Amino acid sequence: MNRKKQWMSLVMIGLTLFLTQCKKAEDVEPEEENELITTVVLKFTESGSTTPLQFTFRDTDGDGGNAPTTFDKIALKANTSYTLTVEFLDESKTPAEDITEEVEEEADEHLVIFTATPASLLTYVYGDKDANNFPIGLTGTATTGAAGTGKLKVQLRHQTPVNGVPVKNGTPGPGSDDVNLDFDLEVN
Amino acid sequence: MHKAYICNIVAKYRNSFILFKQGILILLGLLNLLPGLAQSVEKDCHCFVKGVVKDEHTGLPVVGATVLLIGKNTGTFTDAEGRYQFAGLCPGVYDVECRIVGYQSSRHRIDLTEGHEEDFSLAETEIHLNDIDITTQRTDAPSTQPLSILSGSALAQTRGQSLGESLKSITGLTTLQTGASIAKPVIHGMHSNRILIMNNGIRQEGQQWGSEHAPEIDPFIATRLAVVKGAAGVRYGSDAIGGVILVEPKELPIDKPISGEVNTVYFSNGRQGVASATLQGGIKGLEGFGWRAQATGKRGGNIRTPNYFLDNTGISEQNFSLAAGYRKGGFGIEAFYSHFTTQIGIFSGAHIGSVTDLLAVLENGEPLIKSDFSYSINRPFQDVEHDLLKVETHYHFPDGNRIQWVVARQLNQRAEYDLHRPRNDSLAALNRPELNFKLNTLTNDLIWDHKPLARKFAGQLGLSTLYQYNLMSGRPLIPNFDQWNIGLFAIERLVQNGWELEAGFRYDYRFLSTYRIVSREKVTNIFRFHNASGTIGAGRNLSDAWSVRFNMGSAWRAPNVSELFSDGVHHGAAAFEEGNENLQPEKALNSVLSAQYEHSRLRVEVGAYYNYIRDYIYLKPQPEPILTIRGAFPYFKYTQTNATFAGLDVNAELNLTKELAWTSKFSYLRVTDVRNDSYLVMIPANRWDNALKYQWKEAGQWSNLYASVTNRWVAEQRRVPPASDFAPPPAAYSLWAVQAGGKWEVSPKNQLELTITVDNLFDTVYRDYLNRFRYFSDEIGRMISLRAQWSFGG
Repeated sequence: MNRKKQWMSLVMIGLTLFLTQCKKAEDVEPEEENELITTVVLKFTESGSTTPLQFTFRDTDGDGGNAPTTFDKIALKANTSYTLTVEFLDESKTPAEDITEEVEEEADEHLVIFTATPASLLTYVYGDKDANNFPIGLTGTATTGAAGTGKLKVQLRHQTPVNGVPVKNGTPGPGSDDVNLDFDLEVN
Repeated sequence: MHKAYICNIVAKYRNSFILFKQGILILLGLLNLLPGLAQSVEKDCHCFVKGVVKDEHTGLPVVGATVLLIGKNTGTFTDAEGRYQFAGLCPGVYDVECRIVGYQSSRHRIDLTEGHEEDFSLAETEIHLNDIDITTQRTDAPSTQPLSILSGSALAQTRGQSLGESLKSITGLTTLQTGASIAKPVIHGMHSNRILIMNNGIRQEGQQWGSEHAPEIDPFIATRLAVVKGAAGVRYGSDAIGGVILVEPKELPIDKPISGEVNTVYFSNGRQGVASATLQGGIKGLEGFGWRAQATGKRGGNIRTPNYFLDNTGISEQNFSLAAGYRKGGFGIEAFYSHFTTQIGIFSGAHIGSVTDLLAVLENGEPLIKSDFSYSINRPFQDVEHDLLKVETHYHFPDGNRIQWVVARQLNQRAEYDLHRPRNDSLAALNRPELNFKLNTLTNDLIWDHKPLARKFAGQLGLSTLYQYNLMSGRPLIPNFDQWNIGLFAIERLVQNGWELEAGFRYDYRFLSTYRIVSREKVTNIFRFHNASGTIGAGRNLSDAWSVRFNMGSAWRAPNVSELFSDGVHHGAAAFEEGNENLQPEKALNSVLSAQYEHSRLRVEVGAYYNYIRDYIYLKPQPEPILTIRGAFPYFKYTQTNATFAGLDVNAELNLTKELAWTSKFSYLRVTDVRNDSYLVMIPANRWDNALKYQWKEAGQWSNLYASVTNRWVAEQRRVPPASDFAPPPAAYSLWAVQAGGKWEVSPKNQLELTITVDNLFDTVYRDYLNRFRYFSDEIGRMISLRAQWSFGG
C-alpha cells in the first residue's frame, strides 16, 4: 500500500515536471531595458556665438531594419575655432534616453575620438578629463584649417577594464567601438 | 575426471580468465552431447559454437536475429528462445556477427584452436553448458550506413574533453570552434542544425543554430559514442542531414553487484582538472532493479598559445545524472535525469565593435589584449544549463512483438553576457545577461517492432512528436516561438542469402509560430513545413575478408528561427546578417558506398559519399555594406542554393609486426555551390592522420601497454568563394602528438588505466580555418594530459 502511494507521488512529480509551462512564448514584451545608441549629435559653436551648428546621425530602430534616417554633412567655416560638444542618445525609447550622461558617469571607461581626413581639415583639442586625468572628448575645441572636403571620423571607444584592471590610457588602442561614424566634412 | 581434446574458445572481447573457463565448459557440454567424440585425436571438424542472443537493454532473448559465421560464410537465425548453433566447425579463428533490425550489429572473434590433452577435475555444479551468449545493444542507426564507434580505450583516451573534441579521432569528423573552449562537432562538413545529437536516445534540443553554442552534453555519461555519417532522416527525423551522433550510456546493471568508475584528468594547458565518478548496481532483495549515479566536475583557466595566454578562456562545469530502472518478464521501465551546467569565458581579445576594430587586430597579428594565467571567468561569458528528464518503458509480447514508449522533457537555459555591462548604473547593478534564451522541449516516441516475419523480415514502425517553446529576453536576437512536430516512419529489413536489404519511409509535419516585436508592435508569423524522406540500402559480405554496403537516404530540415529572423551584426564575424522569412526547407539526398577489407594483418575501410542538398541555406554576401552607428559592416543575407558535399573517408590499419601497428586516416571533402558555380565558406580542409603504435604483449600485471606517436596534417582550405572573408584561410599545418598508456590489473575487480598524452608536441604556431577566432589568435599550444581511470566491482 505504502509503495503504491510512493509510486503515485513519483508519477505526480513526474507529470508536474513534464507539463508545467509558466510563461507563454506568445507573451512577448518590448525590451525597454536594452541599451542602444541610435543618435549622435555634434554641436559646433563658434566663439562668440550662442547658436551652435548641429549635425546628426540618427538610426532610431538601431542596426538593420530601416536605414539611418539622418546622416548630416558637416559644413564649417575655414580657419575657425569651434567649441565641439557631442551627444549620444537612445531615441528608440520614449522619452529618448540621454546616453551622454552615462558616458560622463563612466568617463574612465570611455574615450571620444575625432579624426579628420585629410588631417589638415580639422584639429581637435580635448576640453575635459576623467578622474585619472585622461581625456574624455565630450567637449573640446575643433579648429578648422584651409577650405577643402573630406571626412570626420567620430568614435566612441568603450574601454572596459580587463580582469578588473583599467585599460583606458588616453590612447584609442584599448577597448572597442560603440560608435564609429565617418561624417562628410566640408570646410569653406 | 575427464581427458579431453579441447576446442579452446577464446573470445577477444572479454576477460580471458572467464573465457578460458567458459571454453572448457562449452567443451564439456559438447562432451555430454556427443559422447565418444572427445577421445578422437585427429584434427576433425567437430567443434561447435552455440549460444543465446539477448537484448542488452531488456535481457530478453532476441528472436529471428541473423547470426553469421564470417569465416565460413554461413548464417543461421535465432529461434524462439533466441538460441543459435553452428556445428561441424574445424578448429580455427571465426568471427561471429549478429544482426537484426533495430540493433547494432555486433561482431565477436572466436578462437577455436587446437588444444592439448589436459586433465580436468571440476565440481559437479560447474559442469553445465556455458554458451557464447551475445548481448546486443539496440541502436536506431541504419545498418547499411557507415557507423563509427568510440568506446573502451579509444573513448578513455578522449576523457575530459568536450563532446566535439572527443569525436575528432573519427575519420570525417572535425570541429567548428569559437576559441579553444567551444567546439561543435562537424560531420562531413556539416554542423549545428544539419547534424543531430541523440543524447541517451533523445534528440538534443538547445540553441543549435549558434556557431558558438556547443552541445550541452557531458561525454562522461556515455560509454559509447557512435556516429552515423550521412543523411539519416527516416529514423531520426529532421536535421539529420550530415549525420547523427549517438551518446549512449551503458545498460543499467539490473541485479548486478555494485560497481563503479572514477576518472581524473589533468590538462597542463589551461591547468584544467576534470573529475568524474560513476556508481551503479542492483538492489539486494529487490529483484529486477538497477540504478546508476554519475557526476562530473571541470575547472580550467586561461589557455596558452605557443606565444601568449588568451585572456578569459577559463571554463567551469558541473554535471550529474541519475538513472534507475526495473524489469520484470517482458516489461521494463527506466527513468533518467541529467543536469549540465557550464560557465565558459569567451576570449576577450575577440570582442570587436566595428570592422575597424577587426582590421586592427588582423594587422597586429596577435591579440591586442594580453593576459597572464588566471582561473577567473569575466565578461564576456556564457552560462548554460541543460536538464533532461526521460522515461522509457517497453513491453515484449510473448509472440515476439515489442512496443516502446519514450517521453522526455528538456530545458535548455542559455545566458550570454556581453563584454560591456549597461552604462546605466542601476541596470548594470542587476548584472543581467544581454542574451537570455529558455528553450523547453517535450518529445514523445512510440515505437513498435514487429516480430520477424518468415524469419526474414524484421522491422519497426514509429511515431515521434515534439513540442517546443522558446522564450527570449535581453537584446532581441531570435523571436519567441511555439513549435509542434509530428513524424511517422516505417523501416523494414530483409536478411537473406548473405544479403542485407533495408528500406524505410518517413513523413514529418512541423508547425511553427513565432512572436516578436517590430516597431513596438507584436508580430506573429505562422510557418508550416512538411517533408517525406526515404532510405534504401543493401549490404553484402563478399568473402571472408570483403564486405560492401550501399545506402541512399534522404533527410530534411526546416529553416531555423535565426535563419528566418536574424537582423543584426554578428559580432564574432563582424558581419551584418539578415534573415529571410521565405526560406524553404533544405532537402538532402545522400549516397554512401562503403567497403571493408579485413585480413590477418590489414584492415581497410573506405567510405565514399555524395550528398546533394537542395535549397541549401547560406549567407550570401551582398554587394553593398550596411551602415550602422558602428560604421559600415559587410552585409549578408540568408539565401538558398543547391550544394553538393562529396568526399572520401579512408581508414587503414596495418600490423607491421605483432607489436607494431600503423594506422592511417584520410578524409577528403569537396563542397560546391552548384547554382552559382562557386564554393561555400567554412568547410573543413582535407586532413590526413598517421599513427604508429607499439603494444607490449606481455608486461607483468599490465595489459594493453602501449606507446604511440601521431601526426595530423591539415591542408589549407583553397576552395573558398572569392572575397568572402576578412582574411584568407590559414596555411596548412602539421601537428605531432605522443601517447603512452596501459591498464594495470590490481585485482580481478580493480583496474587502473593510465594514459599520458602530449598534444602539439613541438608547440607549433598554427590557426585553423574552422575556428571563428582565427582572426584574433593562434591555436592552443603544447598540452600534456594525464588520465587515470579506476574501475572497480562488477
